[in-house]
Amino acid sequence: MHRNLKLKLFLFFFLLFATISFAFLFPRLTLPFGFAYIIYLMAQPLKVLLLNGSGQQRIFFFMLLILGVVFSMFPLFAAFYNIDTDFSKFSAQLPELQKNLQDKFFIFKVYVFEKIGYRINIDPVSFVVRKLEKQGALLLAQIPTYLSSFFEWMLLVPMFLYFFFFQSKKFSHKFLRSIPNSIFEKTYVLTSQFNTKFGEYIIAKFIEATFLGTIVTIGLLAIGFPYPFVLGFIAGITNILPYIGPLIGVLPALLVALLSQDPQISMLGMVFIFAFANLIDMVLVFPLLVSKVVDLNPIIVVVSVIVGGQVGGIVGMIVIIPFIAFFKLLFQEIYKDLSVQL
Amino acid sequence: MSYEKDMMEKNQRGEVIPDKLDIPLLKYLWDASPLSFGSSKENYHEFFKKISVLNSFSDNELRLFSKFLHRREFITSEVIFRQGDSGYGFYFVFQGSVNIYANHLNPNKDDLGELIIRLDQRQYFGEMGLLEEFNRRSASVVAAENTVVLGIFKPDLEKMLEFYPVLGAKFLRETALIMANRMGHLTREVMSLKRKIKELEQRV
Repeated sequence: MHRNLKLKLFLFFFLLFATISFAFLFPRLTLPFGFAYIIYLMAQPLKVLLLNGSGQQRIFFFMLLILGVVFSMFPLFAAFYNIDTDFSKFSAQLPELQKNLQDKFFIFKVYVFEKIGYRINIDPVSFVVRKLEKQGALLLAQIPTYLSSFFEWMLLVPMFLYFFFFQSKKFSHKFLRSIPNSIFEKTYVLTSQFNTKFGEYIIAKFIEATFLGTIVTIGLLAIGFPYPFVLGFIAGITNILPYIGPLIGVLPALLVALLSQDPQISMLGMVFIFAFANLIDMVLVFPLLVSKVVDLNPIIVVVSVIVGGQVGGIVGMIVIIPFIAFFKLLFQEIYKDLSVQL
Repeated sequence: MSYEKDMMEKNQRGEVIPDKLDIPLLKYLWDASPLSFGSSKENYHEFFKKISVLNSFSDNELRLFSKFLHRREFITSEVIFRQGDSGYGFYFVFQGSVNIYANHLNPNKDDLGELIIRLDQRQYFGEMGLLEEFNRRSASVVAAENTVVLGIFKPDLEKMLEFYPVLGAKFLRETALIMANRMGHLTREVMSLKRKIKELEQRV
């Protein structure tokens, strides 16, 4: 290979390595950048609708979009108002829940003493409450940091969004030009495929979470279960995590049902609603939306989610799946090339 | 007029040129800005107008089509792609020329094989890479001199079909026509070879 070409290849990989290192070293920049990128990817289908078709069709879709945004704002605000009320109610009832929990543990202690004669001296309820209070105080101390991060995000996310919407085309053009010729075709095709897969996965998961959260909220409202909006919201959010998400999502509802002394609360009904919502998700939403995007073995998905959680917390658990799907694609390409060369 | 041209003309006229660069601060900041990507507008419109297979494209379609292209520069003897590589793109020779080689005996070796044809400006190659799902390049292409090619790749075609379906369909039709022409040529070659083999068999 010509010396200049070798140098270009080395420089490209060096810059790539430097960029990745920078991203890992400065998560305060990388996270809002990634968040803005996800919003940009989610807006792509709208771009297709707005760009395709005749002028009249474009105007029609644009009007429809404005109407959609205006009308979706109202229920969204209503839902957030209810989530807030639910949270306030939940916080107000916390002392009552603590007392209830302590009573139940006392009954358990008496039962153990009567059956096997062993006296339990530990008090896990007070321990948990003390821990929670301590964590709460720490959280309060952290509020200024969270606020500054929030304002940082308020500044950075729109800035990055502006970059993605108005400058990214030119930037990607420049970036593509810097890729050495010998690896251009493959790099371009693979990065395009990754972008498509990542965008489709994020949109599919968002729709899936909204769908599941709505079913759970409506179901819980119908049976008169407390905190339907909070529990529906949590079920939707946790559903973004594959396989283990639905299990985590049902835990708060289970806790509410166990600790509540209201005889009107139907635990069976709640379990049925969660099972029904997840069944609809597994039978209809997941096969139609998500599995088309990521064709991975369930064991690989579960292991990846655990590894993603270990490396990058909640964000890692969510984004690991499209990355694994991309690596599968990459290995398939490498394998294909090797099989030809052999 | 650019600063560089101005200085060259002053030099030619024998006028005194300043020791230091005298680029206005604003121009410097504009060029140095990471958000500024230069002002050079690549207009491939005239180039594509002279390509026969794109005859049916209107001016606006050619303008849109050129947005999907990637300009790649190759130095003399630089390999554009090798026989047996995965193929994803279709190239037009914008400047310079390329040599096409095929190694019939050992297609996976580093040896490029024998020269098949030389393609000059406004000629094209690699169209099968754009259409086939798992394409393997059937020949190697090497820049015969310092060459600029304009490439369009599978993701670009998908984007074109998504955002400009009429343009995408038109381009696909033209690519299919190129393929059909090549197939026709191949069929004639095979028939001629068969005829020659038959003649040889009769002689033997």
